Amino acid sequence: MSLIVKTITRLTVGLILLYGIYIVLHGHVSPGGGFAGGVIIALSFIHLMLAYGKETALRKLSKAAASFFESMGAILFLGIALLGFTGGYFFLNFISKGEPFKLFSAGIIPLCNMAICLKVGAGLFAIFVALVLLKFDSEKR
Amino acid sequence: MAVYLLCLVLFSLGLYCILRKRNIIKIIVGVIIAEYAVNLFFILVAYRMKGRSPILSPDAEILNMVDPLPHALVLTAIVIGLATTALLVAIAMRIYEKYGTFDITKIRELRG
Repeated sequence: MSLIVKTITRLTVGLILLYGIYIVLHGHVSPGGGFAGGVIIALSFIHLMLAYGKETALRKLSKAAASFFESMGAILFLGIALLGFTGGYFFLNFISKGEPFKLFSAGIIPLCNMAICLKVGAGLFAIFVALVLLKFDSEKR
Repeated sequence: MAVYLLCLVLFSLGLYCILRKRNIIKIIVGVIIAEYAVNLFFILVAYRMKGRSPILSPDAEILNMVDPLPHALVLTAIVIGLATTALLVAIAMRIYEKYGTFDITKIRELRG
């Protein structure tokens, strides 16, 4: 891409990633949550790939790493749900709830949000990478 | 009532695009338009006059909220729409790789 796009991307991509992390961490007290924050995080990497090409973006988050984080998100979510059996039943909120409307509250819900964020962010980035690599495969022939 | 009819118009536009266009990419765009017309319809059904967003905040009395159930439904529908769109685009790319065209009238023979 052109110099303007590269410069603007270099300046904004960190802020987009930070905003995604903010949305995920505040998912239980304000609108947003794991899915929305994960999409924004994935968009920051897709932005990098659109501006600088696939090599730069894949150096930041490789295909194997995206696959690993996607599987890890699903396993973490299931693990948090299964840990509820220590106190009684599936999805039991076993951590202390804390004070309502504060950042550190709501027990396991922020942890579930983080697991969903890993799953969605890495999964969306993996979809985009798969489409890009499929295109490059067909052009090679 | 008029907004529901406009929703129907948008859905019909997507359906026309699916049935009438020859290019696969335009058909995919039609699928997306029809899908988002349905999402918009659900959001409009959920709306209450002068309603606030259904989020509990420290100093707010609970009255006049919009209906949160269709919002949750639409969020799930958006996720599924994302997955189906990615699948459609991947299939379209494989078709282009095999036949070298996006025109559905030229994709007739089962070549190899």
